[in-house]
Amino acid sequence: MNKLLRSYGLATTGCLALAAARPAAAQQAPVQPVVIKFGQPAPADFEARNFVADSAAAAVVLSDVGTTRFRVDGLSFKMDTERTTRIKILKKAGYDYATVEIPLYHRDGDEEKITSLKGFTYNMVGGKLEKVKLESANMFTEERTKNTRVRKFTLPGVREGAVVEYTYSVTSDFFFHLQPWAFQRDIPTRWSEYRASIPEYFDYKMLMQGYEPLAISQKEDGMTQYMASERVQTTTGGSAWQGGGTSHTSTEAQTINARVTNYHWAMRDVPALREEPYMTTPDDYVARIDFELAGERLGGTYRNVLGDWTKINSSLLESDDFGGVLNRGGFLKELVQQLVAQYADPAARAAAVRELVLRNVKYDGSNRAVGSGSAKHTWEQHRGTAADVNLLLIAALRQADLPAQPVLLSTRTHGRVSVSSPLLEQYNYVVALVPLPDKKELLLDATEPLLPAGVLPQRCLNQVGRLVVPAAEGEGRWVELVPAQRHSHYQQVTMTVDAQGNITSQVQEQHGGYSGVSARSKLTELGEKKYVTELTNQHTNWEVPSYKFAAVADVSQPLSLHYEVRQAATTPGTAQELYLKPLASFCESRNPFDNAQRRFPVDLGAPTQDVVLINLTLPPGYVAELPKSANVSLPEQGGSYVFSASSPTPGTVQLISRLTLAKPVYGAEEYGNLREFYRLALAKQAEAMVIKKQ
Amino acid sequence: MLLTILAVLAAPAPKYPVATIAPALRENAHAVVRAYDEVVTVKSASQLVNTVHKVVTVLDGAGSDSYGQLVIEYSALNRIGYLRGAVYDANGLLLHQLRAAEVHDQGVGSADGSFMTDVRVRYADLRQPSGPYTVEFDYEIVSDNTLFYPSWQPQHAENVALEGATLQVTTPTSLPLRYHEQLLPPGAASAPVVAGAQTTYRWQLPAHPAVDEEPLAPPLSTLLPAVRLAPAAFEVQGYKGSLASWQSLGQWVYQLGQGRDQLPPAVAAKMAQLLVEAPNPRDRARKVYEYVQSTTRYISVQLGLGGWQTAPASSVASGGYGDCKALSNYTCALLKAAGLPAYVALVKAGRDQADVRQEFPSSQFNHVILCMPLAAHGTAPADTVWLECTSQTDAFGYMGSFTGNRHALLLTPEGGRLVATPRYAAQANRQQRRTDLWLTADGGAKATVRTKRVGLAQDTYAQLLHEGDPEQQKRYVSNRLPLSHFTITSLRLAAGPATDALPSVNETLGLELSGLATPAGQRLLLEPNLLGRLAALPAQVGARETPLALPPAALYQDTVRLHLPTGFKIDNLPAPTELSTAYGTYRSTCATLPDGTLQYVRQLELRRPNGSTPLPAAKYPEYQDFRRKVNQADHTQLVLVKHEA
Repeated sequence: MNKLLRSYGLATTGCLALAAARPAAAQQAPVQPVVIKFGQPAPADFEARNFVADSAAAAVVLSDVGTTRFRVDGLSFKMDTERTTRIKILKKAGYDYATVEIPLYHRDGDEEKITSLKGFTYNMVGGKLEKVKLESANMFTEERTKNTRVRKFTLPGVREGAVVEYTYSVTSDFFFHLQPWAFQRDIPTRWSEYRASIPEYFDYKMLMQGYEPLAISQKEDGMTQYMASERVQTTTGGSAWQGGGTSHTSTEAQTINARVTNYHWAMRDVPALREEPYMTTPDDYVARIDFELAGERLGGTYRNVLGDWTKINSSLLESDDFGGVLNRGGFLKELVQQLVAQYADPAARAAAVRELVLRNVKYDGSNRAVGSGSAKHTWEQHRGTAADVNLLLIAALRQADLPAQPVLLSTRTHGRVSVSSPLLEQYNYVVALVPLPDKKELLLDATEPLLPAGVLPQRCLNQVGRLVVPAAEGEGRWVELVPAQRHSHYQQVTMTVDAQGNITSQVQEQHGGYSGVSARSKLTELGEKKYVTELTNQHTNWEVPSYKFAAVADVSQPLSLHYEVRQAATTPGTAQELYLKPLASFCESRNPFDNAQRRFPVDLGAPTQDVVLINLTLPPGYVAELPKSANVSLPEQGGSYVFSASSPTPGTVQLISRLTLAKPVYGAEEYGNLREFYRLALAKQAEAMVIKKQ
Repeated sequence: MLLTILAVLAAPAPKYPVATIAPALRENAHAVVRAYDEVVTVKSASQLVNTVHKVVTVLDGAGSDSYGQLVIEYSALNRIGYLRGAVYDANGLLLHQLRAAEVHDQGVGSADGSFMTDVRVRYADLRQPSGPYTVEFDYEIVSDNTLFYPSWQPQHAENVALEGATLQVTTPTSLPLRYHEQLLPPGAASAPVVAGAQTTYRWQLPAHPAVDEEPLAPPLSTLLPAVRLAPAAFEVQGYKGSLASWQSLGQWVYQLGQGRDQLPPAVAAKMAQLLVEAPNPRDRARKVYEYVQSTTRYISVQLGLGGWQTAPASSVASGGYGDCKALSNYTCALLKAAGLPAYVALVKAGRDQADVRQEFPSSQFNHVILCMPLAAHGTAPADTVWLECTSQTDAFGYMGSFTGNRHALLLTPEGGRLVATPRYAAQANRQQRRTDLWLTADGGAKATVRTKRVGLAQDTYAQLLHEGDPEQQKRYVSNRLPLSHFTITSLRLAAGPATDALPSVNETLGLELSGLATPAGQRLLLEPNLLGRLAALPAQVGARETPLALPPAALYQDTVRLHLPTGFKIDNLPAPTELSTAYGTYRSTCATLPDGTLQYVRQLELRRPNGSTPLPAAKYPEYQDFRRKVNQADHTQLVLVKHEA
């Protein structure tokens, strides 16, 4: 019996059921699948009346159908995915949908390979259907990177109203990585359907996401046959050690009967996916199903490939590029022990170790969950990915006698993680967790020099991370990535207005928390002079004769800027009445939520606080009509806006404006409130105060 | 002890320590180019070798991303001989030597809207966690495309100082070098040295402090020293040519394309039929252009010589797509078949792109268009029509901001000829707007805004109209509304009549506004110019250093009709404003119409007194003053008072 048959011999025990995909909506009446035949376009697809509802779209996916099957090639499994796509091009703006790029991965002799690529374009010209074939001379392959090649083609003869279709099959050796299927694109999709026939030898975790319901979600058990074969060399006459004789090569084949599970999913009339402001990534919202190999059934026994956190943790901690990095920080011992002597307090020591890593290693901008080399290599290179930098950080913390542990997370642009599925693939970043006395914990990251210790970069603020621990300590746990700081902006203004309407102000401005990061990086990029020029430019009629920055390098403090502003009166002469909008120059001029509608949650990453305090001195002999105070709140302590005006002493006015958004994320259903909240706040800030001569 | 001494002796000398940088060069600099030594060796008419030795000290984080790494392009006709790198600390001690495995290689065949090219990049990252540090890169490019010689501009970005740089070109004396020097300081060029059959040219630049980019300045690349090189004779893939003149360059490109204009008989017959259907040449040309626009699209495939040689017309006829060369060649063939001779023309396309350097014939182009002389017909006088063949939606004969207002190289059987493309002045860059505002007593309003944009002013909007879906159109318009809180109740974009001399786009916008007028006690304050305000320029800090490049001439006309809420009256009408300067004219008036409606009218014409040539820096305060006055007038405020009944 050959290897394959031994490995994948009929399984009769260990019958773990495959996790069923979660349908996004309850099952409805049976849905008739849309069946198209390649090479035979439907006449209805050339009638304008069938596309009236799509008048906003540049193109429509009429049908996108894929099927994945396994087969045995020699002794190993291969995965074949056939895909047939038909698209109606409605406008010239939709021509780009006739150009297709298919990325294909290859590594160490294993590859994804494309076969049977065919394509046609159909145009209705004067009542007659014209068909143009995609010629193979017009298909290209680009070696994009070391491991990726891109097959690309564009269909010929594309005009407004054309229907294009193409079909191909991808054969893959990477059954560890069954490609996800997206049911949704940035144009509407009439029908998207995916089938996967998965033999009993493979156990995939399936993860459905998105905001669209499934029209079909079925799972049926069945049987299939695989033909395994092996080329065998036999020698007759002579003996093996003497040589000679005649060699024959023959093929031994065997039929294997196996159980398969046939999955079938489809969506009908899926709207185009649109990006909205304050979104993490559109990938979080697209209707899609993901797969990850959880286990294999070999010779009747189930082998958990990933399956659970204990398993993932062990394989991570045993691997050279993760666990191997954490425990080989010995070369830092001497350096780090100096800090141990210097800092008894664990939090202070952790901050000092982080500072050491920050000063010596630069984050190269790429986000990874697993390292690319040893801690020593990263240290000597002075550069590395997020994983290289932060695994080195953990190694250094451990050398400083701080029991730091890794926390896996997924950055905002990489997408949310699903807590119900332990899939390593969902993570692309790692940070350090340091336990402190009093059951407190410190989350540390050494990629962002503009942030103080204990504050994660904004890209990391994606709800939860996963603590990785050795099996002896359990399976780890979820760690909430609570923003430790806010977007915090504070302005204190001492303002004097004269009888002509000329205004002079002394402004003390502070950017703290995440606002501090953006302000500091802007300052680094522009320099002080340009930073102030840019600030000045946002206002009509502003002159800034002097300014001074403070706490530029001390990232534990808010970035502080003191400046003077002069605003000359626009009309000459002394006025009996002046209209002043003191707050307007120091507050936002536009509602950030300018869209009337919202489909997805508003994700701001961290809470927000914006405070303006103005002490205004009136010209002698003038009095102000004080504006009314206001207090606006969002439901459920979601935020508040407070405005108050008072006259603490004659001839002076004090204005306080305080806007707070308490939550980092607001649901789509809260959007209307959020928009109205800002409208009211902005109206209050723009209000004019009347100043009269007594 | 002895060992220690030996170790010290054996230690390499520090390279480029930061301490040796003159303080003046560190001022206002994120990085300092310590050396930029380029050597160009012309091997033959068909090959040159270019080596670069580049050393940059990165002073702070802002310089790191641009100078701590290196990206070099190569392609089928340009291969990289070697790429070496090293990084040193502030004291000049070696931190790391770049290893081959650390040089990444990547295809960029789909970049910049291309479909397929053979262009690839190699990149190396030597960025360090904190500055200062110094990177040193050495690389060699062997080029089989001698149509292009390198250009040398060691300092070309802001906030980067230069310590020194050299350029050396060695060429067979029989292949004389052509060069163009820009703003070189005295003594930068040395006399060519002839040794045997070789001639060597040398240039060098002394130290120069970092420069700042100022508002409304010409691009820095035109303000800093440069030497641009070009061959006299060249050869690419067996195609010999000369760059001695525009005529000879044109000839070479013309010949590359010769014989590639054969049309399938059915298509040729269809075009010939137009001779009967449309006897008027302009009408006929329009029909040919419409045919091209409805049956082809732009797909860019640039492989090897295919970057310069057009694909045959027959391939466009069968596939329905091509790049700018192929579509222009195809359209030219169609026009010819329809009895309309036209010329393919090379152009340096791009919005706000500086014109070609006319005095230095060389390959400066990035795009291809068509130029068609039209003979007089009946009462219509002779004319020249320019066609953009890569757009499926551009108006017939319109070049716009992408290819207008500059020079193009016509390719004729007699060779190349540099001619001007259409010129678009203020009237051809015009925006007319009529706004009706129905104000409510709480300061909110409903508004209808009708905007007509003509010529250059419609370019972006035409693109938005044809390429954006309704959601994208709304997003774009919404992002540009200078209002605090609004809801777009309707938006419609529509193209003006195709027969107009210039294309136009009409926008109709419905708005619901809140907080438009500010309540102040019993009054409402309102700036009637709510959408058309022109921003003032930033205050000048210190003396203006660079010349003043004005935006293209433009005309803006705004009429706002303000329908007052019941019980409100205007306190007093603002006085009219009138400005007249070399930079433009401005007029705004406010009046009460017989039905009680307030009408605000504003007209602003922006001029370019010097055409596209920048003005001297000394003119900046004058221009700034003009903009300040315009901005002030644009903020004219109305005070509405509620009259108690």
